[in-house]
Formats: sequence, C-alpha cells, structure tokens
Amino acid sequence: MDLKKGFSIFLLLVLCLFFSVNVTTAEPVTINFWHAMSGSRLGVLESMIEGFNSTHPDYKVVPLFTGSYAETLTKYISSYPTGTAPHIVQVYEVGTQTMIDSDAIIPVYEIPGMLGETWDWAQYVIPITNYYSVDGNLWSMPFNSSTAMLYYNKDLFKAAGLDPKKPPTTWKEMEEIGEKFLASGVVEHVYSTGWPDWIFEQALSIHDHLYADNNNGRSGLATQVVFNDDFGHMIFDTWTRLHDKGIYIFGGTEYDANTAFISGQIAMFIQSTSSLAGIIKAAEFEVGTTFYPRFEGYPVGNSVIGGGSLWVTKGQSNEELRGVWEFFKYLGQVDVAITWHKGTGYFPSSIGALKTLLDEGWFSQDQAYLTAFLQILAGRRDTGASTGVRLGPFVAMREDLVSGLEKALAHELTPKEALDEAAEKMNLKLKDYLEFYGQ
Amino acid sequence: MSEDRFPGHKILPYLLIAPSLIVIFIFLIIPFAQSVRESLYVSTPFGTRAIFVGLRNYIRLFSSLDYKSSVVTTFKFSVFVIVVGLSVSLAIAQLLNQKIRGVGFYQIALIWTYAISPTVAGVIWASMFAPATGLIPFIISKLFRGYSLNWMTNGNLALLIVSAAATWKMLGYNIVFFLAGLQNVPDEFLEAAQIDGASSWKAFWSITFPLLSPTTSFLLFVNMLYAFFQVFGLIDIMTRGGPGNATELLVYKLYRDGFIHLNTGFASAQSFVIFFVISIVAIFQLRIATRKAIYSR
Repeated sequence: MDLKKGFSIFLLLVLCLFFSVNVTTAEPVTINFWHAMSGSRLGVLESMIEGFNSTHPDYKVVPLFTGSYAETLTKYISSYPTGTAPHIVQVYEVGTQTMIDSDAIIPVYEIPGMLGETWDWAQYVIPITNYYSVDGNLWSMPFNSSTAMLYYNKDLFKAAGLDPKKPPTTWKEMEEIGEKFLASGVVEHVYSTGWPDWIFEQALSIHDHLYADNNNGRSGLATQVVFNDDFGHMIFDTWTRLHDKGIYIFGGTEYDANTAFISGQIAMFIQSTSSLAGIIKAAEFEVGTTFYPRFEGYPVGNSVIGGGSLWVTKGQSNEELRGVWEFFKYLGQVDVAITWHKGTGYFPSSIGALKTLLDEGWFSQDQAYLTAFLQILAGRRDTGASTGVRLGPFVAMREDLVSGLEKALAHELTPKEALDEAAEKMNLKLKDYLEFYGQ
Repeated sequence: MSEDRFPGHKILPYLLIAPSLIVIFIFLIIPFAQSVRESLYVSTPFGTRAIFVGLRNYIRLFSSLDYKSSVVTTFKFSVFVIVVGLSVSLAIAQLLNQKIRGVGFYQIALIWTYAISPTVAGVIWASMFAPATGLIPFIISKLFRGYSLNWMTNGNLALLIVSAAATWKMLGYNIVFFLAGLQNVPDEFLEAAQIDGASSWKAFWSITFPLLSPTTSFLLFVNMLYAFFQVFGLIDIMTRGGPGNATELLVYKLYRDGFIHLNTGFASAQSFVIFFVISIVAIFQLRIATRKAIYSR
C-alpha cells in the first residue's frame, strides 16, 4: 500500500516537473517548409532560414529538400490527405492552377486578416505578384521569381570577330549571328536553352500571343490551347531550321545545358535568370545578358514570370500561421531579399530591396543583373497573354510540348504535325480537368 | 499431410505461415485490389473527388498511340537487354573460366558493375554521352569531322544507349551465374569430346550449352523482370522517357502518368495490364524452361 502511494506521489511530482519545464522554456513552434532548391541555391536558402530562426526564437522553420519542383508538388499532394503536409510548400509556377483548385491551401492575401493585421501588397513588384493573383488577390507568396533571358559569351563573340556589344535582338539575327559563328569555327553549335517548354511559353507571351483560351486560363478555366496557329508553327519551324543548320543544339530540360554554356561549348544560351549567379561564378569568360529574342513585326508582350512561390497549407493552428506569416515578412525584409537576389539571380521581389540595390550601385557593378528586370518592367502587363498562362494539368501538358519539340527536331514529324499533335494531347488533358472543376 | 508432419498440432502450421501470408496480404493483395478499383475511376490530383468511369481508362489506354509506342519500345528494349546481355555475358564468362594469370582481377573487374546503383550508372552514361560536353560525342566529332552525336534529339540512338547502359549494368550479375554454371560442367565430358575430335565450338554447343540450360533459363527470367521493372532509375536519370517518348518504357510511363501527371486511374489501368501480361509471360516461360532445361540430376 505504502509503496503504491509513494509511487503515485512520485508520478505527480514528475508530472508537475514536466509541466513546469514546459512552461518555462516554451518550445519554439515548428514550421515545416518543403522546397526544391538544389545546387548553389540551397546554401543561400539555408543560411536565410538560420537567420530567421536565430532572430525569431519563438519559431523554428525546418526546411526539407524534397527533390525537383515536380517531385515536391507530387510529394505535397500525396502528403495532404494523410495530414503530414508541411506548413509551407514551394511550388513552381506550373503548379499554380493545381494549387488554387486544390482546396488544401489558404490564399496568402487572407492571412494578415486572419491574424488581425493589415498588409500592403503593393510593396511587391507588380509583374511578379500579378502572376500569382486571382482577381487581383495574391494566392501565394512570391519567393523565387525569375524570367528567361539570353546569356552570351562575350569572349567567344570577340573570337568570332563579332561585336560583343551587339548581341542578337531578333530570331533572324540569332540565325545570322549563328551562321557567322559556324563559319568562324569558334564553336560547333551556337546556342542552346534550358526548360524548352517554358522557353516556348516565353516566345508566345513576349509577342502578346495567347497560349490557351479564356484569356490564358485567367478569366476562367482554359478549355483548349490556342498556340497551334501560324505563329506557333513559325516558332517550331524556326527552331527546327536552326537545329538543322547546327546553330541550335537541343540540350535537354531544366538546367542540363548550363554546363555547355559555362564550359564555352556554345556561345549563347536562353535560360532562367535564376542561373545567373551560378553562371557568373563558374564561367571563365565575360558573361553578357540581354532580352529574349523577338520575331520582327509581331505585337509586343512581356516575358513571363517563372520560378516558384510559397503556398500555405490549410488547417494550421493560429500560432503556426503566425509563424508562417512572420517567416514571410522576414523573407521580404530588404536585407534578406537582397541576399537571396545576389546569391541566386532571382528577382528581389520588394520595391524597397530594389531601391537599396540601386543605391549601393549593384546594378551598375554588374549590369547582367538588371537585364531581366528591365525586360519585365518594360513589357506590357495588362493582358492575360503577356501575364502568363495558368492551366490545371500544366505539369503533364508541358511534357507533351517538350516531346513535340523533340519529335520536330528529330524529324520524326514535321514541325507543324509535332505541334498539332502536342496540342491535341494537351486539349484532352484540359477536357479531363474540366470534368472536375468546370461547371 | 500436415498432421503427419506436426502430430498433435492442428493450428501450428497455419500459425507458422501466417506472417508471410499477412505480409503478402498487406503489401500485395490489398494494394492490388485497390489499384484494380482505382483503374475504374478518375480522380482529382489531390484525391478529393473521384468519378466512376467504368472501363474508360482501359479504352483510352488501348487507343492511345503513346501507349502502343511504349509497348513497342519496351519490347525492343527487353529483347536487347536479354539477347545482347545474355550472349555477351556468356561469352565473357567463358573467357573468364580459363586458367590464366590474374583471372581473379578480371573477374572482379567485370562483375563489379552489378554493385553500382542504377542512379550512379545513369549519371556515368549520361555524362559520357552529354551532347555538348560528353567524351563520346567529342571523340566522334573529332573522328568524323564535326558529326554531332546528340542522343537528346535522336530517339533511336537514345534507346540504344539506354539499352546498352541497362545491359552493362546487369552484366556482372549474369557473368557470376554463368561462371558458376560453367564451373559445374564436368571436365570429363569436354575431355571426352576433345578425344573424339570435336572442335571447341562444337563441344560448346553440344555439351556446355545444354548443361548450362538451368542457369540460362533462370537468367532469362530474371533479365526479363529486370528489363520490365528494374530500369526505372536508369531511365529517370538518363532520358526521362525522352526524346519524344523514345525511351518511355511501360513502367516509366506508368510512373509519369501516376505520380507526375497525378492521373492515378489511368496509371492503375496500366499497372493492371502490365501485371496481366507479365503473369502470362512468366507462366509460359517457367513451363517451357522447366520442361526444356536439362538438370544434372
């Protein structure tokens, strides 16, 4: 009997101790954050998160690298029903419509209100927030925004007897300069691209040409793609012709072709601005950057925003949500946004960060960082076509486009047939999507 | 029968096989039943809603040109992996089965490929053939005056390279088994043949090869399973099914449709079809193989 009593007193004491410890050293609230940042981006991101955790002792952001963008999205989707989804997930722009329709997330514009705060969303660079907005309301936090531009190797331009101050402006000049390069024998191939699917989207948007109907899926769900017209066929024709001539070398998807440019095997490279810091660091030549090449005589649009944004999972406690929000505010801080921009090449997304960069002479130090910015700020942004397309099954549809391009380049199909076949497959996917989400 | 072996214990035999039955049930039967069910539905990416569509996924599958081309690709790939893989490894095993100096070194040098993970093998082959920076395109362009070898835009080449990589990866495994089989061929038979004046070629085909048939039929089966199911990592690292679906094997297509395109119904239908085909082939092959194979005892 005595023993039992003694034991229960002991248990009580232990419990008291446990609770008191809990009260005095309140554990920080954990915020799980899944992301897809690899390579040199990873180190920059991790140091930023460390900075947050040390300045915000109440919260602890735990980053987890979950593979490529597509893999991260897939993991998120399969984790959501089991309740193991992270608080924050980084999703690439392709997944935007999927996330909007997911019913799994809180749109970020609602978060300050839920926490009893107000927030001025206009402090962010408008073309960036536009991409992630529905009816003017921001749904995900812009984090790593980029666009496509033309990189070129100034040393190779000189070696081929070309003026490094006159990179190509149009696709016609791409071809002319390409031929001069081949004739000079400096390189065996002249240019390549990363992300061919996205580079195609850029070619449309920069000429204010729609990719899909319903205003690029921005005024309602898109029902079909509309790029397989004369203009789209011309893009595929041009690329196939340049490929046949040996000017263009297809270098795979995503960042596969970066090494070819960095090692000086090719003279020009169309790639995301997010590769800028990495390329400048690794290249042993002078890197030039300029606007994405145009087709002469077609309307002017804008290059579209790519990269990723941060989405917030539904069903969090208020404390967790506050942590998420504090983290977002931290990422928007001038010094943090600048670290991110300098370390990667992604856009600094707030106006404040832009001004500071300008004041400290960053852009005049290396003009290459300014190119993409001027490009998106100079273009139009009042049409769906120039803002960028939003599609439900976009991840899968993009693959159809890449296969189409590959088939055209390999002469398995004519460029026209290849693009039409891709469009047909993509339309079927849109139709399936409408079955669920259309009215 | 069971009563004979376990006198007085009626339940014990069932208890003893229960763990493996439970494992099979949880990890094979239930998921299988689920995917059969899912193949009759289409669902939203997040799985929040599903619509019953009957056999539509199957109808789409069989009318899809991509699927047909994937079947053909898988067939070509498997034939390459099995035929080239087995003949090359048999030849190598035969060479390794000689009494020469340093044979241990050669054996290890040829067998270690099996120890490499598919990812590493994929990275090695992909960087060897990288269009602008790879060693092999470089050598070819130097040899053939600027000919550019780009497997990223040449589907047949890509399939060939992927098949070669997959074969190379499996070479070590095949060699080990063939070597073991060859070492079991009694020397007396070969000596007798030699005395009778048979050429070594004739001796190989009439004595060694038939005696190897248990090994060969086993390897045939294992290589088929390998070609069908275990090359995912290699494909994912090297080509991701491209260029233009040229290396999209059935199992890779299933992965992309199910896990990247989030079309679980369609992917489930594919998995059911693969299951069905493989079971038939496996039954067929095991029957033929066990009947034809000459076992030493």
